[in-house]
Amino acid sequence: MIRLGTLFWLVLVSATGFAMFGVKYQVQALEDELARTNRTTAAEEHELRVLEAEWAYLTRPETLEAMNRQFLSLGPIATKQLHTTAADIPLRPPPPAPPPPPAEPAAVVAAVEPVPAATSTPSAPEGVPVRTAEPATPQTAADPPATQSAARVMPALLEKPAPMPQFAKAIPVKAVVKPSPSPSRRAKSLDDLIAQIMTSR
Amino acid sequence: MIAAQPYQGYDDNPCRPRHFKPPPCAPVVPEGPARKAIEACRTRLFLTSILFACVFAAVALRVVEVVLLEGGTAQSHMPRFRIPGPPAPARADIVDRNGMLLATTIDSPSVYGNPKQILDSADATRKLVKVFPSLKSAEVYAKLTSGKSFVYLKRHLTPREQYEVNQLGIPGVQFQHEERRIYPDGTLTAHVIGYTGIDNSGFAGIERGLDDTLKDRREPLQLSLDLRLQYILREELQRVIDDFTAKGAAGLIMDVNTGEVLSMVSLPDFDPNHPGAADPDHPDISIADRMFNRNTLGVYELGSIFKIFTVAMALDAGTSTLTSTYDASHDIHIGRFTIGDYHGKHRVLNVPEILMYSSNIGAAKMAMAAGGQRQREFLSRIGLLKAPKIEVSEVAAPHFPAKWREVNVMTIAFGHGISVTPLSFASAASALVNGGILRRATLLKLPPGDAPPGEQVISPKTSEQMRKLMRLVVEHGTGTQAAAAGYLVGGKTGTAEKISGRHYAERKLLSSFVGVFPINDPKYLILTVVDEPHPNKQSHGYATAGWTVAPATSRIVQRMAPLVGVRPVDESSPEIQRALMVDTLQGKRIEAY
Repeated sequence: MIRLGTLFWLVLVSATGFAMFGVKYQVQALEDELARTNRTTAAEEHELRVLEAEWAYLTRPETLEAMNRQFLSLGPIATKQLHTTAADIPLRPPPPAPPPPPAEPAAVVAAVEPVPAATSTPSAPEGVPVRTAEPATPQTAADPPATQSAARVMPALLEKPAPMPQFAKAIPVKAVVKPSPSPSRRAKSLDDLIAQIMTSR
Repeated sequence: MIAAQPYQGYDDNPCRPRHFKPPPCAPVVPEGPARKAIEACRTRLFLTSILFACVFAAVALRVVEVVLLEGGTAQSHMPRFRIPGPPAPARADIVDRNGMLLATTIDSPSVYGNPKQILDSADATRKLVKVFPSLKSAEVYAKLTSGKSFVYLKRHLTPREQYEVNQLGIPGVQFQHEERRIYPDGTLTAHVIGYTGIDNSGFAGIERGLDDTLKDRREPLQLSLDLRLQYILREELQRVIDDFTAKGAAGLIMDVNTGEVLSMVSLPDFDPNHPGAADPDHPDISIADRMFNRNTLGVYELGSIFKIFTVAMALDAGTSTLTSTYDASHDIHIGRFTIGDYHGKHRVLNVPEILMYSSNIGAAKMAMAAGGQRQREFLSRIGLLKAPKIEVSEVAAPHFPAKWREVNVMTIAFGHGISVTPLSFASAASALVNGGILRRATLLKLPPGDAPPGEQVISPKTSEQMRKLMRLVVEHGTGTQAAAAGYLVGGKTGTAEKISGRHYAERKLLSSFVGVFPINDPKYLILTVVDEPHPNKQSHGYATAGWTVAPATSRIVQRMAPLVGVRPVDESSPEIQRALMVDTLQGKRIEAY
């Protein structure tokens, strides 16, 4: 009985000993790794600082200007280029409905700026040709009626149901391609799609 | 019976196995003093074991607490367990208002030799000189045979040089960790940022003025400067210098509503990466001249641009109104001075015309009407009689007469006899147009929309009048070349003769222009000063402000406005015309007035 107890304690002691040494070596390894990581971090940070300094050096205004002269030839923005703001540019008109409504482009253009002429801000002066898409009619005379007609036209355009399902049913396939707002990237796949549809018929 | 008496005293049990040895046990002690002693021993043993049991129980409890309950602070007090993190840079970076890097610190080790450890000095010298062609082999050899234990061979290596020295593998040649300040933009921000010495302590500019802050900080210090505007201003000033073969130029752009300096350029300038090195393009310009910050350290008699202060003072004090007239048909003779007009009209002028045509006689008479006491008090109020306060350490106090005599009143009215720094002038001029609030100029970026409190130095009404008058100067007066279509520039020209010896030299001019735009809602002030411009063919023989710095201001405005988000307006629109109309002219043309 006594021997069994002794054996038990011996096993326990040696197990604890091994476990302790195991943990100790693990901790040492972790510490080494931590120190290594810290060294790497410091080295990376240093490298980052060098690279940032280099980036700042390579993007100095004078370097950029030299590169501009060589590759782009951009000039300073001229005053006349700034008379139009993003707000003055008309929204993209929605794709025309199946029987294309006879919506005058003038009406759509005027709709994005329904402000009467009297309250125009100094940032959008009257005398400056702001909107090149305007019709040839005199601006002051054309504005109020154009706005009103636009107010009538725009909701009608917007309330149209999404055109896609209709196209699929009623419209010849070629008509689908034309008003699609998709950029040219999809032209090829669209052609493929059309080819598929045609063959399936 | 064989009486082999066993060990009677040992064990009297005859049946015990032979190998059995009874454990020693406490002898049976009879009653008496011995028994008492043994009892005492037992008690002591018992108490001791309880004590040990308590201690072990405490240790066990603590182990349970630390391991299982994670309680207590298991801090290590042994230094070797302190984890070394990445070292902080010794000095904070400096960035501009958009976060572009202006100054940074990078590691740049120095290589040193320990001659006591070097085995073959001649061989080591040969190898080192191959890596560093700038070193002289005789010097290196002398260092390596000096018998000392530490000699610098070269300081601040590039990473590539360090790699090459490592490749040599010379025993006794080692690196010392050092840091070096780098200014990626070089000369562009030289005078504002300043530079540091070899031990990274600030020697000039912000580096010196905010040395302690930069040493303590970790995050970058953000300045109010805008690198893009800095580049534009420097380029345009350099162009003026080149066009008019001038000696130097200074310019600054200030946000009139906050006092932030967006750009500050002084030419000629230096490369803070190599302060003290000669400029290869202009070897004749001295180091001291290039390091001199004309904006904060230079004091100048700025000339006619000072008239805006005279007019503002007279209008604010009520000693003149916009309709007051002064006879400018004859020169004023006072003492040994004669005050005349450069753009003389030789007739009676009203206040707008005095400013438009820059009449010295008119300005002098306006100042006389207001009085010297009032003039001095006003100049002191707008901060022109003391050194400007700003983050760079190089600031100069103004020069002005200790005794404010009549002749001084007259000359100061048109900017002679008083020398101020361009920075002080810009702060004061900002106050004239921004509604009358004088704010301290700063080079540190302020939080957006947070204008620091200022001091009301003139009334908002006077400020509005000043804006209209400064617009007149550009529309119809001496500063027409500063106009930038669509941006409503207002301003004032100034052409002063520099003192040489005891007299003013007619050929040595100091031309300056203060421009503000958009003048109906002032946002930016541009002050440009050019030192000793010489006339050229394009300027029809003029080197005055209207032909030198005024066109430069126009170009600066046109280039910077899109960057700072000022939109061009239609100058002929009725609202603008109404906002900038001077009441007294009542819509009449200026010449017809």
